[in-house]
Amino acid sequence: MKRKWKFFIGGLVVVAALGYLGYQGFIASAAYQYELGEYLAQPGIDASQNVQVAGQVATGSIEQKSFDLKFTMTDGVNNMVVVYQGTVPDSFRAGGEVVVAGRRDPASGVFEATQVMPKCASKYVAE
Amino acid sequence: MPDVAYAALFLALAVSVYAGVVYVIGARSGNAERIASARNAVFAVFILMTVAEAIMIAALFGRDFRIEYVANYTDRSLSFFYTLSAIWAGNRGSLLFWAWVLSGCSALMVFQKREVARDMVPYAAAVAMFTQVFFLLLLVSVSNPFARLPFTPADGAGLNPLLENPGMFIHPPTQLIGYIGFTVPFAFAVAALITGNLGDDWIRASRRWTLISWTILGIGNMAGSWWAYYVLGWGGYWAWDPVENAGLLPWLVSTAFLHSAMMQRRRGILKQWNMVLIILTFVLSIFGTFLTRSGVLGSVHSFAESALGPFFVAFMAVSLVIPLVLLIYRGTSLKGEAEIESAISRESTFLLNNLLLVSATFAVFLGTVFPLISEAVTGAKITVGPPFFNQVLTPIFLGIIFLTGICTMIGWRRASVKNLVRNFIVPVAATLLLVAVLFVSGVQAWYALLAVGLCVFVLFSITYEWLRGARARHRTQGENYIKAFFSLLMANRPRYGGYIVHVGIMVMALGMIGMSFADGKEVTLRTGESVNLNSYTLTYRALDRIETQSKVLFTTTLAVQNQGKPIGLIIPEKYFHRVHTQPVTVAAVRSTLLEDLYVILINWEEDGASASFKIMANPLVNWMWIGMAVLVLGALVAFWPERQKLPRPPREAGEKK
Repeated sequence: MKRKWKFFIGGLVVVAALGYLGYQGFIASAAYQYELGEYLAQPGIDASQNVQVAGQVATGSIEQKSFDLKFTMTDGVNNMVVVYQGTVPDSFRAGGEVVVAGRRDPASGVFEATQVMPKCASKYVAE
Repeated sequence: MPDVAYAALFLALAVSVYAGVVYVIGARSGNAERIASARNAVFAVFILMTVAEAIMIAALFGRDFRIEYVANYTDRSLSFFYTLSAIWAGNRGSLLFWAWVLSGCSALMVFQKREVARDMVPYAAAVAMFTQVFFLLLLVSVSNPFARLPFTPADGAGLNPLLENPGMFIHPPTQLIGYIGFTVPFAFAVAALITGNLGDDWIRASRRWTLISWTILGIGNMAGSWWAYYVLGWGGYWAWDPVENAGLLPWLVSTAFLHSAMMQRRRGILKQWNMVLIILTFVLSIFGTFLTRSGVLGSVHSFAESALGPFFVAFMAVSLVIPLVLLIYRGTSLKGEAEIESAISRESTFLLNNLLLVSATFAVFLGTVFPLISEAVTGAKITVGPPFFNQVLTPIFLGIIFLTGICTMIGWRRASVKNLVRNFIVPVAATLLLVAVLFVSGVQAWYALLAVGLCVFVLFSITYEWLRGARARHRTQGENYIKAFFSLLMANRPRYGGYIVHVGIMVMALGMIGMSFADGKEVTLRTGESVNLNSYTLTYRALDRIETQSKVLFTTTLAVQNQGKPIGLIIPEKYFHRVHTQPVTVAAVRSTLLEDLYVILINWEEDGASASFKIMANPLVNWMWIGMAVLVLGALVAFWPERQKLPRPPREAGEKK
C-alpha cells in the first residue's frame, strides 16, 4: 500500500510540473479570436488583450512588394486593411479563409499583423 | 452507374446491420450456423463496398462530371496519380475510402485463422460492423459521394495544385488507414469486455493490427510533415495546426498502449488501463477523421451548422461511453494479478512512460480544442499557439527519450542497483565523452547538448545491449559477431524490432532538435547582389518566366558558394496554375546529411531586376526522414510473423495470483 502511495505522489508531482509548464505556455500564447464583424464593433479591444481576427481575403486585394504584404480582410459586410511583413504559406490566397494576429492602429484603422495564418488548403471542407 | 454505387452503399448498410445483429445473436445462443451466416455477410459488405469504391474510381478516371464529387476534385488535365489521389482529396471521398478499408479490415479479421480469442471474434466483428454502419449512414444520407449535379459541367474544378505532390499522395491514405486499423484492437477489447474473457487474449489477437496501424499512422504524420516542409513553403515542418494535432493524438495514445500492453502480457498488470488506452485510441481516431474532414474547429457556429457534426459526436459518445460502462461493470475481474514491486524496475519506467505519453496527448488535445471549449463556456474564443505546445511537450518528449534509454537496461520486477550501475556505466561514459567532444567543437547551447546527449545515450544503450547479447552468443554458440547480431534479431523479433523502432525515433528526434536551430533570413536581392547566411553566399542571377499549357512558372537562379567555394546553382520557383488562383512555391533545397540550404522565392519585380527570398539553413533535417524509414523497418521486423509459434512469454516467477 505504501508503495502505491509513492507511485501516486510521484505521478502527481510530474503532472503538477507539466500543468505549471502548460499554464506558462498558455499565458504566453493565449489570444482571443474574433470574427471580423465582432472585432470591428469593439474598437480598442486589442489594447488590453492579444487578439486574432478571422475573415476572408478579399478577392483582388493582395498587394505584395518584396516582404510587405497588404490585403483587405472581409466578411462580406465589413472590411479591414491588413499589413504584414514577412512570408506567408501558399495556402494564403485571395478568397481563402485567414486568421491574423496583431493590433489595429487606432488612427488609420489599419491592422498591423504579426502573424498571418491561412486555413489549411482544401483540407477543411465545411459540411 | 452512380445509382448502382448508391444502391451498393444502401445494400451494404443493410447487410452490415444484419451481420452485426446476427453475430451477437449467434454468439449468445452458440449457434454456429448463424455465426457462419454473419461471417458471410461481412464478406458481402466488403464486396459491396468494393463495388462502390470501384465505381467511384471509374467515375474519377472517366471524368464523370455529373457527379458533384468528381467535378469538385478532378479536371480534364489531371494526371494519373493525382486522379488517384482525388479518391481521398475531399470529405465525401475520404469517408467512402474509410468505409471501404474498414470493410476490408473486418473481412480480413474474420477470415484470419487464429489460435486464441476465437470466442471473441463474433463480438469483435459485430463492433466493427456497427462502426461500418455508422460510416454507411453518413454516406447514404448527409455525405453521399455519388450525389449528382443538376447539370453536367464541361470541366471539373480540378485538384488544388498544392495537393499535387507525392507527399500529399501518401499522407491522406496512410493517415486514414492508420485511423481505421485501430478499429480492430478496439473491437477485440470491447469483445473481451462483453465475453468476460479478460486475460491477454484480446491483446494477443490484435497485437499485429495495433502495430501496423501505429506504423502506418506514423508514416502518415511524417508524410504530412514532409509535404509541409517541401511544398507549403514556409520553412517549417510542423505548425501545431489542429489538423496535424488530430493525427498526433491517436498516435501518442497508441504508443502508450503498445508499451502498457507489454506490461500486461509480461506481468498481468494494468488491465483496465490498457482497455482505457485502446478505447481512447479509437475515439481519437474518429475524432481525427472528423476534425480533418469537417472544419468544425472554425467555431462553435460552424459546428452547429455542420451536418456531420451531430453524427460524429453521437458516435464518439457511444464508442466512449458503452465500453467504459462495460469496463466499470467488469471492474473487479480486471484487477491486476500482481503489483509493482519496486521503484527501480522496468515496470515503473513503463508506468512513467505511459504517464508522460498520456499527458502529452492531453496537452495536445486541450490545446487543439481550447478555442471550442472556451467559446462554448464563456462565449469568448481563446486560442493557444505553438509556445503552449512547445513548452509542455518539449520536456515531456525529452523525458520519454530518457526513459527509452533506461527501460531496456532495467530488469522486470526488481532491479538491483549494482546491476543497474554495471549496465549503465558504458553508455553513460560514451555519452558524456561525445557531449564533451560536441562542446569543445563549438556546440554550446545547453539545450542542444542535453537533448542530443539524451538521444545519443539511448542509441548507445541499445547498441551496448545488443552487443552484449551478441557477445554472449559468440561465447556460448561460437557464432561470429555479425552472425550473432542477426541471430539475436531473428530469435526475438518483437524485442529487437522494438529496439530498431527506438533507434528510428532517436534519429528522428535528432533531426527535430537540429531543426530547432534553423537559421534564416528574408532578403530582397538585385541582380548580381549577394547575401551571406552562415557559411553560404548566395548571388541572385536571373528570373525566368516559363509558360506551359497548365501553368505559368517563375524560376530564379542563384549561385551558391559554401565557405568561398562555388557549389552550384539553386533554383527556387513559384508557379500559378491557370485554373486556380493558388500559387505554388517550389522550395529549392540543397540537401546534405548535415544541413539543408532551403530557399524559397517570395516575390519579384516584373522585369526580374530584383527578387525577394527566404533563405534558411536547416540542420539535420534529413535525419527526420531517415529515422522514419528506420522506424518502419523496425516495425516490420516486429510485425513479421514468427515462423513457428513461440510459447507464451512466461509470467515471472513468484507472482501473486
